[in-house]
Amino acid sequence: MKIIGLIITIITGAFLVYAAVDFPAWADPNSPASTYLSPYFIENSMKDTSVPNFVTSLLADYRGFDTMFETTVIFTAGLVCFILLRISGGKEPETRHYRHVLTGVTVTLKEGRKIPASEDFERIDDLWTPPDLIIKTGCRLMIPFIQLFALYVIAHGHSSPGGGFQGGVILGASIILLAISHDLRTALERMREKVVAILCPVGVAIYAGTGTLCLLLGLNFLDYSALASVLHVDPISARSHGILMVEIGVGIAVMTTMIWIYNNISSAGKYNQGL
Amino acid sequence: MDILVCILLFSGLFFLTAGSIGILRFPDFYSRLHPAGKLDTLGTLLALMGLALFSLHHFSLGALLTSLKIMLIIIFVFVASPTATHAIVDAGVRAGLAPWTKGEKRR
Repeated sequence: MKIIGLIITIITGAFLVYAAVDFPAWADPNSPASTYLSPYFIENSMKDTSVPNFVTSLLADYRGFDTMFETTVIFTAGLVCFILLRISGGKEPETRHYRHVLTGVTVTLKEGRKIPASEDFERIDDLWTPPDLIIKTGCRLMIPFIQLFALYVIAHGHSSPGGGFQGGVILGASIILLAISHDLRTALERMREKVVAILCPVGVAIYAGTGTLCLLLGLNFLDYSALASVLHVDPISARSHGILMVEIGVGIAVMTTMIWIYNNISSAGKYNQGL
Repeated sequence: MDILVCILLFSGLFFLTAGSIGILRFPDFYSRLHPAGKLDTLGTLLALMGLALFSLHHFSLGALLTSLKIMLIIIFVFVASPTATHAIVDAGVRAGLAPWTKGEKRR
């Protein structure tokens, strides 16, 4: 089985190399991309979409299909991690550990026993170590600013480097930082598995839904100028707003995928005791 | 003003250089983190302060905004860098790495 895989990989690789020979040379000024495509985007993106950063307008508007499927690829990566690693249900371990928050006393319970229902006990892991106060406080200071910066990056993709992918990764990193500095349970309390699993496809659906809305309003898929009648603006700024909607979808999808992958890999799919 | 900027930048450079030499020359993990955590933070702080002052050279609202942003970077470096160093040392202790004592070989 491994040998067959190896042969397929080598053949595909050979085809790729063979196809790459036909590409124009690196930085060739006479290649089709440099003769009419790039100058068009550089000169007309402001006129067409009123987005000063033409990388964003290129990525989310002229080349919207590509970015949509990039988002889908990221979603698929998260989904695959979930399907391969997640061990759902399973037996409860025979002994469970609880910690009395106020006094720091740890209670170990044998199978079937229950603690009195109270808010003072928190469930802890076998390998639980007290989170370090300095790290905890430092991260708690930083996380809100990281999230604020991430929102800024998403919203400011129109006029500066940034956008949904970068902002989404920063947002995801802030939650992962919470999981590293405290423990996985704390992060899961803020961002439950269900929430992550729902938001991830929702992000992709926002992107595809914006495209479909354009289709329903009578223009091509992902042609945002169709949104002008809904948003009550002229078609050019409608394209700008359409890009923002799409970026928000990308941001949500990327953020949740990062968290999803981290949760699954760090706890080997058991969601009980990650880092 | 220029002299102050120069002094700040050069002292920042001095601390960063000393920190790099320290990382190379100290004998073990914990003592190497000592220059990495302290001198790098201080060097970055001083150099960025110099830059913040330099951008105020021609005073305007935009320059003030730039300086304020650099000051924000200073605050975040000041919080994040020592915390990160502390976390690394903490990980070393929890993993059971014994500190170097006098007379041992360098590791």
